[in-house]
Amino acid sequence: MNTSSGAQELTTTHQYAIETRNLTKTYKAKTARFDQGFSIFKRRENRTVKAIDQLNLQIRKGELFGLLGPNGAGKTTLVKILCTLLPPDNGTATVNGFDVREQSMDVKRSIGTLFSIGERGFFWRLTGYRNLEFFAAIFNVPRHGRGERIMDVLDLLGLKDKAHEHFQKYSGGMKRKLSLARTLLADPPILLLDEPTTGLDVISSRNIRDFIRNDLTRKAGKTVLYTTHYVEEAAQICDRIGVLNKGKLIALDTPNALKEMARKGEIVEFVVENISDNQVNVLRRMGGVDVVTAEVLGNRVGKTRLRMRLENPDLLPKILNYFFEAGIRLVNFKREDATLEDAFVKLTSRGAAE
Amino acid sequence: MKLQELEKVFYFMKRDMIAFSTYKTNMILMILSALFGALSYAFLGSNAQMQSVLELYNMNLTTYLIIGIAFNTYIAQSLTLVQRTINPWSLEEVLVSPTRLATFIVGSSLWGFVWSTGVIVIYLAVGILAFGVVLSVNIIGTLLVVALGIGTFIGFSMAGAGVLILTKQGDPVTTLITIATSLFGNVLFPPQVMPFQLQVIAYFTPQYYFFTTIRLVLTGSPLITILPDILVLVLMCVAILPAGYLTYSWCLKKARKNGTLSWF
Repeated sequence: MNTSSGAQELTTTHQYAIETRNLTKTYKAKTARFDQGFSIFKRRENRTVKAIDQLNLQIRKGELFGLLGPNGAGKTTLVKILCTLLPPDNGTATVNGFDVREQSMDVKRSIGTLFSIGERGFFWRLTGYRNLEFFAAIFNVPRHGRGERIMDVLDLLGLKDKAHEHFQKYSGGMKRKLSLARTLLADPPILLLDEPTTGLDVISSRNIRDFIRNDLTRKAGKTVLYTTHYVEEAAQICDRIGVLNKGKLIALDTPNALKEMARKGEIVEFVVENISDNQVNVLRRMGGVDVVTAEVLGNRVGKTRLRMRLENPDLLPKILNYFFEAGIRLVNFKREDATLEDAFVKLTSRGAAE
Repeated sequence: MKLQELEKVFYFMKRDMIAFSTYKTNMILMILSALFGALSYAFLGSNAQMQSVLELYNMNLTTYLIIGIAFNTYIAQSLTLVQRTINPWSLEEVLVSPTRLATFIVGSSLWGFVWSTGVIVIYLAVGILAFGVVLSVNIIGTLLVVALGIGTFIGFSMAGAGVLILTKQGDPVTTLITIATSLFGNVLFPPQVMPFQLQVIAYFTPQYYFFTTIRLVLTGSPLITILPDILVLVLMCVAILPAGYLTYSWCLKKARKNGTLSWF
């Protein structure tokens, strides 16, 4: 990958590509006006929401770091702080060794940012090429060779043939690829990719993931912060994963280590008939049963799949006994290996309970 | 229409009303615009106008109106130029690039000025060719007055855009400037046709000085004779332009801090 642009001159000797210390961001939220009665002049209640809460995070250079979290966990807020769009309230954040508050221009020269709905920032009546030409100029891509650089990036993402088509005619996958192309224009050493595959079909998602893993991190050595709420997606490509919930980092390790964390104990899955919500709650409150997810099976009337993690295998007879006493018919049962999703559910549900 | 369908109609209206009422500033400004708009047209139709134009500017009503309307289009465009750049999505994309705020504002506004200049040329050409408007352009004076007008109104435009970033719909600055322009700005009628108290207000608005001086430099008045009015315009421009920039950057900073930049 071409690394001839000015951004590379910003490479520093700083140990981490991204580092945050006690980073905190709080939002003030108002209640909706009509939720408090029918008056447009009535004062609304203010409440405070901690989007990022004392976050300490280090991402190494050249690492593909996945930030996993449910909706509202603070992933986008963190990306917006790191790209200097949002000032933090407390704590520090450095990107490529530059402080996001004090050295924002250097931070901007060091990063490429893809927002989750970044395609809205394009000019729909311009061609893909003309859009990138504009962004290349504002991202300081040298005028000499700018055209070649744009075509190189388009070629890299398989959009060269569509360069001179209007953006509004692009498919969803092409628009997302063009967003990714925009982040690569200035060849920055660090990429902040906020849910880059949201809304894409399976093939497009896989293509983009492969491109990020193989071309951007393995071949070009870029540092990538990849946020997603798709657990398996993070597991497939990331070197390390941080799990964010309610603004706090509740776990940080490799995908395999996180799976191991969920593996402690026993993962069991039952398919049962005629179980009520109250009975599921009884299971949830049972000592030693850590997590219970209940999924009503759409194709079979009255059947529910229960997935739970037991602290020790001795609890299994207790559960079977409960089924018998409550008149719940067991249709199927199996033991399973823990997945990263189990780890994620375990971690985030623990956070929710707290 | 079935009752169920009527209920749906009601819920469509309710949805829009609730959404509209969240833009309280916009609602109040729309009401104010309607009130002052009616007042402006009342003065436009007054008999005193023709007499005043002839006495004060030594030009016929057609010339007076053509210049007024042409440059009012220019001013109206200028007022909303910066606002049009704050599409929340493209704004975020630009703000994460290593681009200075002043570069962004000037760059985003430039095409609007080029286009507006073209529109003025069309207005004046139609005036000259179809209505016999006679112009004797003082080029230096015109460039000076236009530059001062642009500076002043870009200042207002930045202040308005800044407020809009916070209010999300409807900014009081632009609405008040538009109202002041139509009422006191010497666009379609001289302030002298209004009651004395309103005339006094006109002398505190840059619009009055801009439209007065642009008419005079386009019809051949020597710069020296309108120097006092130009000096007032210079002072206003020097005060309003930086004030507008500071307002814009303050509002932008506040929206970024609150995380409401992309809320529209």
